[in-house]
Amino acid sequence: MLKNKNVIVTGAGGGIGLATVNKIAENGGNVWACTRTKTEQFEQDLQNIANQYGVWIKAVYFDMTNESQMKTAIKEISLEKRSIDVLVNAAGTVYNGMFTMTSISKLKEVFEVNYFEQIYIMQLVARLMMRQKKGSIVNVASVSGIETTEGKLAYGSSKAALIYASKTISKELAQYNIRVNALAPGLTDTKMNKEIPDADLQKVLDRSSMKRMANPEEIANAIVFLASDQSSFMTGQVMVVDGGRLWS
Amino acid sequence: MTNLEKYNQAFCETFELANPDFDSLQYMGVEQWDSVGHMSLVAALEDAFDIMMDTDDIIDFSSYLKGKEILKKYEVEI
Repeated sequence: MLKNKNVIVTGAGGGIGLATVNKIAENGGNVWACTRTKTEQFEQDLQNIANQYGVWIKAVYFDMTNESQMKTAIKEISLEKRSIDVLVNAAGTVYNGMFTMTSISKLKEVFEVNYFEQIYIMQLVARLMMRQKKGSIVNVASVSGIETTEGKLAYGSSKAALIYASKTISKELAQYNIRVNALAPGLTDTKMNKEIPDADLQKVLDRSSMKRMANPEEIANAIVFLASDQSSFMTGQVMVVDGGRLWS
Repeated sequence: MTNLEKYNQAFCETFELANPDFDSLQYMGVEQWDSVGHMSLVAALEDAFDIMMDTDDIIDFSSYLKGKEILKKYEVEI
């Protein structure tokens, strides 16, 4: 589905991000895998995936809260003079806390990663895609940005904002043949969700039809679909992949 | 090609102008320099000078003359 396409994936060191890198490679795509921290394990994982599927995968390191680093990284990518076909924004941070227990500084911190820097990287990459007159952007939001749940003020509202942004940006970029969609995963079996207390986890699972968490690969499959030409007439949409949690 | 020639060429090619009065060119001052044309101009300049402009500078880039000032920030002397 992505043969010879070049894809930027942020949050590539995370559960959904790395699964997405793997799934893109499996579908023939090349990847700039962006993450904050360089580790031997990450580099080895990328090397293994690249070798397995015969594509190139480059590690790119920057902190999502450091605009200067981000800009430098995207500029370096642009200087490679390859087409940038897809941007997958999988970077994110989670915070669970009741409204009365969420400081404004924490709220800003969550929005910084989940919203403002997502917008910034889209601005940088979209400008390159506009020159090509093509592109696809996939923002990994969350069902928490659609449903309202106690204790999700920071995370949920940041993801709701990202969903709104995806829709409005899709309208502005359509004239350049750039599609923008959001994905709203439900609970996914990643390290980020390991900190959820068992009782809370069970409560969410009980509300869903499939009564289980998603595997990161199941989310990656949906991302690849939105990234690829298989979804060529979709833009400004939110694809919910939650095992029947939201509207069951 | 000098930087000035590259700069002028970006305007002429983007806005399809033959022999414009460069110093008088302003955003929304010619039909082609609308919001879409503006991004095309930015793309042409970024390509010509191998730079990546900040969003604030793109917003501030309101005229041919203002653009010269802004490009100095990117070590492009015109």
